[in-house]
Amino acid sequence: MVVDVELRAKRDALEYLWRQGLSGQALLHKHSQLIDDYLVCLFANCPEAAEGMSLVALGGYGRRELFPYSDIDLLLLHTPEAENRLGAVSEALFYPLWDAGLEVGHGVRTPDACLADARQDFFFQVALLDARHLAGSQPLFTSMRQAFHRELIAGHRREFLQNMMQHRNERHHRYGMHSYQLEPHIKESRGGFRDIQAMIWTSRALFGLQELRDIEEAGLISPQEKEAFAQAWDSLIKIRNQLHYLSGRKNDQLFFEYQVEMAKAFKYSDTRGTLGVERFMQDLYRHLQTVATTTDLFFEHVDETLGSPRANPVEQTIEPGITVRQERLHLTDQALIEKRPYLLMRLFSHAGKTGLEIHHRSRKIVTANLHLVDDKIRHSKRMAKAFFDVLENAKDVLAVLSVMLDTGLLTAYLPEFEQIRALAQHDVYHVFTVDRHLLQTVAELKKLSLSKTPFAGVESPHVLALAALLHDIGKGHHEDHAQRGSTLAAEVGKRLGLTEAETACLSFLVKNHLFLTVTALRRDLEDDAFLRQCAEQIQSPERLTMLYLLSIADAKATGPTAWSEWKGALLLEISLKIAHLLERKDTVLPDKRQGAEWMLDQVRALMGKAAPSDYKILPEEYLLSFPPEEVAHHLRLRAGLKNEKQAITEPTDHTLFWSVLVMAHDSTGLLAKICGTLALHGLNVVSAQIFTWEDGTVVDVLNVRPAAEQTYAEQDWQALGEDLNLAIKNRLGLSHRLVEKFRTAFRGTGQKNVQAAPRVVIDNMASEQFTIIEVFANDRPGLLYDITRTLADFELNIHRARISSDGDQVVDVFYTLDGFATKINNPSFQEEISKALLHVAENETGAGARLQW
Amino acid sequence: MKKIEAIIKPFKLDEVKDALNEMGIKGMTISEVKGYGRQKGHKEIYRGAEYIVDFIPKVKIEIIVEASMVEAVVTKIRETANTGKIGDGKIFVLPVEEVIRVRTGETGKEAI
Repeated sequence: MVVDVELRAKRDALEYLWRQGLSGQALLHKHSQLIDDYLVCLFANCPEAAEGMSLVALGGYGRRELFPYSDIDLLLLHTPEAENRLGAVSEALFYPLWDAGLEVGHGVRTPDACLADARQDFFFQVALLDARHLAGSQPLFTSMRQAFHRELIAGHRREFLQNMMQHRNERHHRYGMHSYQLEPHIKESRGGFRDIQAMIWTSRALFGLQELRDIEEAGLISPQEKEAFAQAWDSLIKIRNQLHYLSGRKNDQLFFEYQVEMAKAFKYSDTRGTLGVERFMQDLYRHLQTVATTTDLFFEHVDETLGSPRANPVEQTIEPGITVRQERLHLTDQALIEKRPYLLMRLFSHAGKTGLEIHHRSRKIVTANLHLVDDKIRHSKRMAKAFFDVLENAKDVLAVLSVMLDTGLLTAYLPEFEQIRALAQHDVYHVFTVDRHLLQTVAELKKLSLSKTPFAGVESPHVLALAALLHDIGKGHHEDHAQRGSTLAAEVGKRLGLTEAETACLSFLVKNHLFLTVTALRRDLEDDAFLRQCAEQIQSPERLTMLYLLSIADAKATGPTAWSEWKGALLLEISLKIAHLLERKDTVLPDKRQGAEWMLDQVRALMGKAAPSDYKILPEEYLLSFPPEEVAHHLRLRAGLKNEKQAITEPTDHTLFWSVLVMAHDSTGLLAKICGTLALHGLNVVSAQIFTWEDGTVVDVLNVRPAAEQTYAEQDWQALGEDLNLAIKNRLGLSHRLVEKFRTAFRGTGQKNVQAAPRVVIDNMASEQFTIIEVFANDRPGLLYDITRTLADFELNIHRARISSDGDQVVDVFYTLDGFATKINNPSFQEEISKALLHVAENETGAGARLQW
Repeated sequence: MKKIEAIIKPFKLDEVKDALNEMGIKGMTISEVKGYGRQKGHKEIYRGAEYIVDFIPKVKIEIIVEASMVEAVVTKIRETANTGKIGDGKIFVLPVEEVIRVRTGETGKEAI
């Protein structure tokens, strides 16, 4: 037929115009117009269609958004009387379209059948929203439309919304899988065209708002949102047009093999460090994200306006400026936010702690206030504390961090994130964009901390969590990403108030995050010399543990192919081998001795004339644990220790935790007294370094955290020092005071969970020098005091201690020697100690309630 | 035609691959496999906790070559993968009846 040839020619011409730079929107309209003209002509030339019939465009075609190879959805509406002429009309209308190679979706219905079908089938109902009259009887069409709105839409708004949201959720779930992350489906994926339409349909059905502009004017989205949304929409149209032409068929999934060519078509070229295709995909992901975020907020808003009122309208203020209303967190005070911008981060820390979602309006408030996050706020201790609180304690850390990223707060707070936001990596291995991968890694790390691995119990989990969040921060640049990342991470660490040692550790982890995985696969794990090199590079069991956990979390967060039991076995093997080397003293001894002498030189230089006569009193272990300045400081403090029954207490603020230096003369039960006094002052011991000089001076550094919400300045340090002195003089009854304190403070707050049975492990194998006693117990106030007192009763000396808690379970590890400075070898003595500790651990004490530190 | 299957230590994979490439063998199938053999899995004790890996991670290389090549290939793999320690792996040689290239339908030597 002549018309077919003409149609084909016109569509070819359209493709030519597209290549000449026709805009995306214009292409859709021209394409629709072209098909319109063709159909109107066919219809006019069909005598059987003269009466009682109407040709209607549906779906995307109805909206005049016809992509190059999209289906042409048609409805032939007819009166019951016209039934006998349908065959001829269908033949005249649809056959030429099929002949022309077009994908046609067609239906033939009476108005009544339309309504009946629309009631049954939500997709058809939605398609009718876009219905547009093309040819034939206008009254027939109009009456169907009116009946449709009267019977299906008006009065069914809530139902419509519920259906729409349910379909949207199901679709997101279906298209959220790994394969769609790598090869996004730009129609069905989150943030794709379906999401755009869902918003437009809903506005139209519920509020009679026709276009994006109307939605903005109605205040459903802000002008800024509308601007970004329109831009993203426009870009997605261009991409979809190009994808159709490139595929030569109706294909809406951006398959891997098309990505490079798509990028080329849009003139993305490779630069040093990034591929054009990666930047193209980055832009695409950002557009999808814009649509996803805007439509999320839109649906939450509409659902709230229209949805059934929730049961609990009570408002509860969590802290000034932040309240809980209807199980959502709200920012309530704009003036206060401007005064204390860290409230923005506090909002997220509450979201993490409570597991409640942040109300959509407050999410918009966060975005609108991002300009407050300036350099000063990026250095703020309160901000850092709230941020680390999210990383470490959030119940669903991935959800909270995702919202933080979507609102823009994460990038405002860590500008280093901008470069890798939505950055794709063009391979089939990395499923997520770099930013999402980083968030996933934090989440995987959290999961690992709850599972049993041989490497667990990290002393500074916040450093490890931050390393997980930053490990790929150096990507998208031509330099080695681990190297560049470690420099960036060090800057972040400093800004966020980490100590020098913590920053060094952070930087080390980022720099070496691939080290274990790569060596496990590529090196001979029986090569002892090589393993020793690894041990030297990693330096400490603590770092090894962190690196091990980071490696697993990283792999698990990369994609389904990156982690396997097979790789896990290799990683475990190398890690255990390095661990054994690190724990064996003899392999590192020569270096250590050198280190100790070097340290002594430094200290001598610092002390000058005030130098004490004999440095031999300082044990090697001790010298290697502190910088020279601190050793000198300790030596000076010792001069102030006048008598036996006296202690010097000196606190330091490290932002995330505080440390307390205690110096005193050694006496039995000293550590118990220190722990008891700290507990009495509401301080929770996280870890402790315990040293005894050979002249009997004790230098203990205890890292503590406050049990209640109080600041460093609010803590009464002087009273703590005075009480400790009283305790050492045996003038303070710690036992009864602790019971008293926790009875009044915590009565009724503790709920009994199912608890693991306490356990005591006495191990002579793990360390050459010490007997290691591990106590696993359910936490309660004063527990550490009771344990250390029990150890003192046996005249055991505690040389090192590590106190960690995992939810309600605490694991206290003590490196001990008996009264004769030897290991505890006697089995019956071991059993006696075990029993005594178990007794203490099992005893719920008179305090009556358990404390959630 | 023969099929050569070599089970080797993972860290030797790159070396073996390079050596075979040099011999003109470009096509091979490589998979991560778990060995449960004479070199049993190990039990490790670390910080009081026992940890058992009941298999040994190995890599399997599969190649099809003409019968005349077998000896040279096997020797090359053996030389390259050898560390002299337990667990260096094994090489199997199997007869192959036919090879067919899916795309073209070519058979025999042409299809290798």
